[in-house]
Amino acid sequence: MNCTRRHALWLAGGTIAVCAVTRSSGAQTVTDVKMRGSARGEKVWFDPLGLSVTPGSTVRFTNRDPGNSHTVTAYHPKYFDRKRRIPAGAEPWDSDFLLPDEYFEVTLTVPGVYDYYCLPHEMAAMVGRIVVGTPADAGWEGLSEDQTDVSDQVLAALPSVEDIIANDAITRKDGS
Amino acid sequence: MTKISMTAIGLLFVSTTLANAHDEKALMNAPAGEPYVKVSDVLPLPEFIPGLGTLFVDPATLPAGPFLAYDRDGRLSATVYMTPLDDLQNGVSFDGLNLGSHTVSSTDVYFNAGHPGVEKPHAHVVLFHDEGAKERLAE
Ligand SMILES: [Cu+2]
Repeated sequence: MNCTRRHALWLAGGTIAVCAVTRSSGAQTVTDVKMRGSARGEKVWFDPLGLSVTPGSTVRFTNRDPGNSHTVTAYHPKYFDRKRRIPAGAEPWDSDFLLPDEYFEVTLTVPGVYDYYCLPHEMAAMVGRIVVGTPADAGWEGLSEDQTDVSDQVLAALPSVEDIIANDAITRKDGS
Repeated sequence: MTKISMTAIGLLFVSTTLANAHDEKALMNAPAGEPYVKVSDVLPLPEFIPGLGTLFVDPATLPAGPFLAYDRDGRLSATVYMTPLDDLQNGVSFDGLNLGSHTVSSTDVYFNAGHPGVEKPHAHVVLFHDEGAKERLAE
């Protein structure tokens, strides 16, 4: 099962919108990925851009870039006819545009490698990779072998599966 | 050239100047009227973008603009142009672009990786219309 949710954290009056969906049994972990950008928008990125989680984890993507909107969109034929870069058994997702402080959650159950991008910033190589579980898990589907549907910059920006598993989370090399 | 056509050109010049003066005044305060639209009404972007303020644009002029940048009090503070780098590299030029105001106190030029509306990596050319404009657009 894939559960996706999109919410405004901050409403006009500054109140916090409470997630309307009841969490299934309390043990669920939520891991944060921020969408970030430099003050004038010269650089945009997911932080961390590489992430390792256990099957069943929920990842929350929050736009922390005050001057821009971003999406988190799985590479999949269902959205914008892209080549699949998530496990075949996994449900693809597209957050649609998230304004500053809005967030989107996805729960990842199928072990394997998930590559995703930001719709307006793929050209700027705003992409990320989540590794769910390890190759030892039943049903694991590793890295997509396609090299034709994404640019060289995108392929170069994505950390290796081994590095992600070894480090849990990988941020950009310049430390931001 | 005959006297008549010189006069005609003279009249044309006068009327054009008046039209510009009139338009410029109309744009000094938000909302900029037709054909301008508020960018955040038509694109998924914040209403006030730190550094650029509240933007209005005539959609027919995309991607270059001008984008008219207003501060939080609705005062025209900058005129912004957005020019995709690959267009420039491929020989596209953006000439004779309009101005929100003819008074320019300083200009900033910098790279932007893209945003809804102008998704290709592009340059922002920002003409500030008074000394305090940059500060008022900052946040
Ligand atoms: Cu983005």
